[in-house]
Amino acid sequence: MTAITMERNTLTEATQRGLARAWIEFESALVQVPLISRMLGHRLRLEDYQRLLVNLRQQVVEGSRWISRAASNLGPEHEELRSLFVRHAVAEHRDYRLLEDNYVATGGAIEDIRSAPKNIGSEALSAFMYQAASREDPIALLGAMFIIEGLGERLAAPWSAAIREQLGLGDEAVSFLAYHGANDGDHLDMFDHALALAVTDARTGDEIVRHARIVARLYRLQLEEIDNV
Amino acid sequence: MQPVYVTAAAQFLPGPPVGNDAMADHIGRLSPEAERFGRLTLRQNRIRTRHYAIRPDGSSDWTVARLAGEAVRGLIAGAEVDRERIGFLATATTQNDLMVPGLASGVHAESGLPPIELASLQSVCASSMMALKAAALQVAAGEHRAAIAVGAEFSSRYFRPDHYHGTSTVQPDGTLPGDAEFLRWTLSDGAAALMIEDRPAAHGLSLRIDWISLRSFADRFAPCMTGGAVRGRDGSVTPWSLYPGGAAAAAEAGAFQLRQDVDALYRMLPVWMGEFMRLVDEGRIDPQEVDWFLCHFSAHSLREEMVRLATRAGCMIPEERWFTNLYDKGNVGAAALSLMIDDLMRSGRLEPGQRILCAVPESGQCIMAYAGLTVVGDTQ
Repeated sequence: MTAITMERNTLTEATQRGLARAWIEFESALVQVPLISRMLGHRLRLEDYQRLLVNLRQQVVEGSRWISRAASNLGPEHEELRSLFVRHAVAEHRDYRLLEDNYVATGGAIEDIRSAPKNIGSEALSAFMYQAASREDPIALLGAMFIIEGLGERLAAPWSAAIREQLGLGDEAVSFLAYHGANDGDHLDMFDHALALAVTDARTGDEIVRHARIVARLYRLQLEEIDNV
Repeated sequence: MQPVYVTAAAQFLPGPPVGNDAMADHIGRLSPEAERFGRLTLRQNRIRTRHYAIRPDGSSDWTVARLAGEAVRGLIAGAEVDRERIGFLATATTQNDLMVPGLASGVHAESGLPPIELASLQSVCASSMMALKAAALQVAAGEHRAAIAVGAEFSSRYFRPDHYHGTSTVQPDGTLPGDAEFLRWTLSDGAAALMIEDRPAAHGLSLRIDWISLRSFADRFAPCMTGGAVRGRDGSVTPWSLYPGGAAAAAEAGAFQLRQDVDALYRMLPVWMGEFMRLVDEGRIDPQEVDWFLCHFSAHSLREEMVRLATRAGCMIPEERWFTNLYDKGNVGAAALSLMIDDLMRSGRLEPGQRILCAVPESGQCIMAYAGLTVVGDTQ
């Protein structure tokens, strides 16, 4: 291995470490969120799940839009990352419809989930995403994607199982979480590749980790502020 | 602060090693189903032999204080320092013989030491690191020139059938729920002690204590291993002393049994590894520089996902540098740290300048402790 590839490896490892720490802090602190705590304590009510769907939908609907905006701001030097962002935006851009279908399957009215405003946490999260995506070469948003994808890879499957079991719901009511639980593993492999491409210096690595920490905190805020509009 | 050194170590393991086939003679037989579960647990933890302070008939010559006292006597017998110069004794255990007074008093009484300063550290496995840090800081601060940290466990007494019969924990088919049965096939008895001094030993190798880090994550984890609790179906924990109907009703509800939520334990793994990453980022651990990794957790029990996470983050210590005595000496909880250090010091494989990293996770309510040591040569 040459000195340069060794240094790149060390940088990528340091970034992976920072991201892992951001994730671990995020995942372990989620149990302090009242709704998640009730879910883990087998005390979830149908209303809890319905409110979760309504509140998540308002943020998920923005997902592919901020990713697209970020893609459009990635310059010629980051073509490969740009195509990855674009593919990601395509893969996600109708996900919010699953949330709407799930809501209807639990007995909710479609117009209620479509018309609900963002809660305070979702506003903060969304505003941060668009602001970060609007900057030139927003590579640091890989950190944001890492947290959002991690939710799918690590939490969606156990959450969908817990919700089904506690509320006696069928597949059609948990398809959003079940879909992400089953599919986001591939996304993370792609993410490793993107990170290796992106981290060319320590500053970029630090910024990716910082964005992951910000998004992790704002995502938790979104779950803490359920229905607080 | 004064540099401090582990200048001697000693262990006391009661009776001969007990193989897997003879385990049930000591902890007793509940049902064929329970033993099937036991064999499964043993396949996972890979423990082949361990020691028990309990006889097959349920009687014993030991208490946890006496086990620890025996380790302290052995430590002093092999140390260069006179007992009169030892100023501090810190003890670590999961469950003391008595609720009152503290274990350190009981160990002091058994140890042959003159009047001395004490600290009783009670937690689970990580109490060993609490005791080591207390002893190291006492010496580093110049309060005492020599101190002892001892860890001891006598858990087999809680695993006897009499401890379960007549309680609601026993299911109609004679089995226990997994969270009660698991520990019967996991924990065993023993004690080990370390001498901490303000100078290296004159003869033989010592270990300089470079740093000790211990952090609790009880802000985000519910109790996962409990004793003295009546557990509700929703995971709630009621102390036996507040259980309606008093101590007898609490006992019938299984309060005095040790329980381990194994799923919750696996949820703690990333947090334990996150602590490792924090120490790497802060420059305390350099994974490349670690010659011996003493982990109170076997490499094979890390799931593939965790190994992948550690490898990507440059934090995986190659398995050939892991040192363990778990398979021969069993899981002795609060004694395990000192037991590993003692066996490593006696292994003949240490050389001056080598770096040792100790790791003690505790599932109780999620604690992670690490310590960095450096091997130093004798001064003679």
